[in-house]
Amino acid sequence: MRLLGMVLAVTLGCVSPSAGSAQAQGDGPLRIEITEGVIEPLPFALPVFQAETADAPGLAAQISQVVSADLSGTGLFREIPATAFISTVSNFADPVQYADWKAINAQALITGAVAVQGNQLTVKFRLYDVFSGAEMGSGLQFTGTPDGWRRMAHKVADAVYSRITGEGGYFDSRVVFVSETGNKDARQKRLAIMDYDGANVQYLTDSSAIVLAPRFSPSGDRVLYTSYETGFPRIYVLDVGSVQRRVLESQDGTMSFAPRFAPDGQNIVFSLSQGGNTDIFAMNVAGGGATRLTSAPSIETAPSFSPDGSQIVFESDRSGSQQLYIMPASGGEARRISFGPGRYGTPVWSPRGDLIAFTKQNSGRFHIGVMRTDGAEERLLTASFLDEGPTWAPNGRVIMFTRESQGAGGRSSLYSVDISGRNLRPVRTPDGGSDPSWSPLQK
Amino acid sequence: MHTGHYISGVGHVALIGWLIFGDVFAAEPLPFEATTVSVISGSEFAAMVAAGRAPQSTTEVAQPSSPEVTPDAPEIAATEDPVAGQTPPEQAQTPATEDAPDVSDLAALPQADVSDQAPVLPDPPADVAVLVPEVSDRPVPQAAERVAPEAIAQPDPEARPDPVEQEAVTPNASGETQQDPAEATAPEAAATEIVTEAEQPSAVPLQSARPPARRPDPPVQQAAQPVEAAEPAAPAEDTTEDAVASALAEALAADSSAPAVPQGPPLSAGEKDALRVAVSSCWNVGSLSTDALNTTVVVSVSMTQDARPVTSSIRMASSSGGSEQAARRAFEAARRAIIRCGAKGFDLPVEKYGQWQDIEMTFNPERMRIK
Repeated sequence: MRLLGMVLAVTLGCVSPSAGSAQAQGDGPLRIEITEGVIEPLPFALPVFQAETADAPGLAAQISQVVSADLSGTGLFREIPATAFISTVSNFADPVQYADWKAINAQALITGAVAVQGNQLTVKFRLYDVFSGAEMGSGLQFTGTPDGWRRMAHKVADAVYSRITGEGGYFDSRVVFVSETGNKDARQKRLAIMDYDGANVQYLTDSSAIVLAPRFSPSGDRVLYTSYETGFPRIYVLDVGSVQRRVLESQDGTMSFAPRFAPDGQNIVFSLSQGGNTDIFAMNVAGGGATRLTSAPSIETAPSFSPDGSQIVFESDRSGSQQLYIMPASGGEARRISFGPGRYGTPVWSPRGDLIAFTKQNSGRFHIGVMRTDGAEERLLTASFLDEGPTWAPNGRVIMFTRESQGAGGRSSLYSVDISGRNLRPVRTPDGGSDPSWSPLQK
Repeated sequence: MHTGHYISGVGHVALIGWLIFGDVFAAEPLPFEATTVSVISGSEFAAMVAAGRAPQSTTEVAQPSSPEVTPDAPEIAATEDPVAGQTPPEQAQTPATEDAPDVSDLAALPQADVSDQAPVLPDPPADVAVLVPEVSDRPVPQAAERVAPEAIAQPDPEARPDPVEQEAVTPNASGETQQDPAEATAPEAAATEIVTEAEQPSAVPLQSARPPARRPDPPVQQAAQPVEAAEPAAPAEDTTEDAVASALAEALAADSSAPAVPQGPPLSAGEKDALRVAVSSCWNVGSLSTDALNTTVVVSVSMTQDARPVTSSIRMASSSGGSEQAARRAFEAARRAIIRCGAKGFDLPVEKYGQWQDIEMTFNPERMRIK
């Protein structure tokens, strides 16, 4: 027995120096796969930006508030109240006490400073990943005039949003919509434009004629809309800067409506109704004749370009019920993409090109939904008495739409919802609102 | 040459002939009951049905004639039955009468308070139209701001939100505790998937039947006891087990330059699953872009012996499915998950430290895209 022990000892002694490392190298690290996570707002801390000049405290507080509201309003972030803070940020250049922010579970920390010198406003900020103990990107500074403080706050929020999520923001953008006042039977409508969050509302037309369906140009400098100024629907193009407008060429005895810009900003598509039949046409916004894209006895309307301009999605009742179709931008054979129960309408292609938003009517309720461009993965995001007219945020993450309440005193208002169906919330407007169209990010 | 063909042909002919003329497949009919029916015309059927119906009332009905009555009733002769041979029954004895019970101790019934006034009933509710909700066959989970792998009910409002559940540690009456005082923590309420407005809520369990993972209490440190000098033990009997054990000990002790890292057996499936669940509870993909949600990242991390991640060791080993920027965002979310939920140490067996000293975690968000 003793001999056996000696033999084993010699044998193991020969191999033992390499045994441990061999096992580690052979087996390697422990490997696990994580496939389930959580979806919850990311907690962030935003101490009020430091005022670096004597007349900056007011603006610093307002800018901090707008940045915080922008981020919280997405539903992706949650602000930690200042009463929970352990640390204070007394100087923009001071090092961050990560442990204090970890203790309150702040996963992102935003610090900033504001300075006013004459007619120049400077806003700078830094973003920190608290649990990694590192700054996310470099500090960034914006300069402008004091009256543009809201836009600068939106730009700070866009930068923070983009750095954390990895996709573009949408806060420094505007929305053109139809402002509505009065009861349903005598409603007055006029075009209005505002910041994405409902601030800075300005009116582009008076309420002497009914206006419908405004649509921003890809550069955000012009708006197409339909007006009943002549008694028949006609398409107008309006310059946002000068508020000058002109009617696009149209034929007598026809009705033209549902216009939308092509991604190049030079051409438009629209519906033209003639002799009881409605088809889709294209034309150059500078003038010239219209080109027919569809030719069917059914109603074809609500065209919307794909972001690359190669295809058009539209609604048609050629199959007997209102469904969505996609055709080449030059016209031609269309393929149906909606096959669910109910009726589909007002399709809008996402700026990212991956989804199509639509209105759906089924079982007495209206929905805003999204589907892939081949019709797959349809998902209904809302449900109400009347939801319609979706429009995409510049980053393709959020949809704004019209919701009308039931009854004679029903009111139209604007709502927004994340494409996941979360974060459904009303958009504040002074009066009722409908037909929103989201602009691209401002330069 | 064709013998086989001939044999086959003859055989087939014989078989076919047998099938035709042999009455092989003639089977006896199965027994059954037959019911005789007769075909009748429509008019006959109508007449038959009409006969079965109740008669209609009419005003002029022929009255039946009265029966004839004979004036003289027949005479009936009464005769006595013979009773001979029958004995009268015996008279049954009447039982003795019981004494009446003594009721003197019984209390009198209380006087009932009866009022002539009709009770005042509350006003019935006004007529209200009730909309019957549409009922879906598919159960829909409760909506919640947080989506997690398992539904979590609303936690105790006193508890601080934290991915790791922990009971409050408070000093006892004498002001002493075995652990540092700490407030209670609990994960926030969560649903298992995003519930849009288009979906109706239904009754689903608010909390999983599975008990939440809870870290074991740290071992209580015992005061070191002085050890008496042990007398040298008597030499044990030389056995095979002792020889092998001593040989192993000597061999392992020979490598004195390497630090003592307990290898232990590989982690069990349950231990791996506990680690997976712990990291999952902190892996927040809610703020990731859709591009990042299409990106799988493999993250490597070194662990300390108390099961905490070494922050500086966390790095992205590889990524697939998305752009470089998307991979970076996905990695940052993964790194946050490891650091956050590992801050208090993962629930890993110390005796197997060598097995989890280095970990590679693959974060695959495929299933999170369809929440």
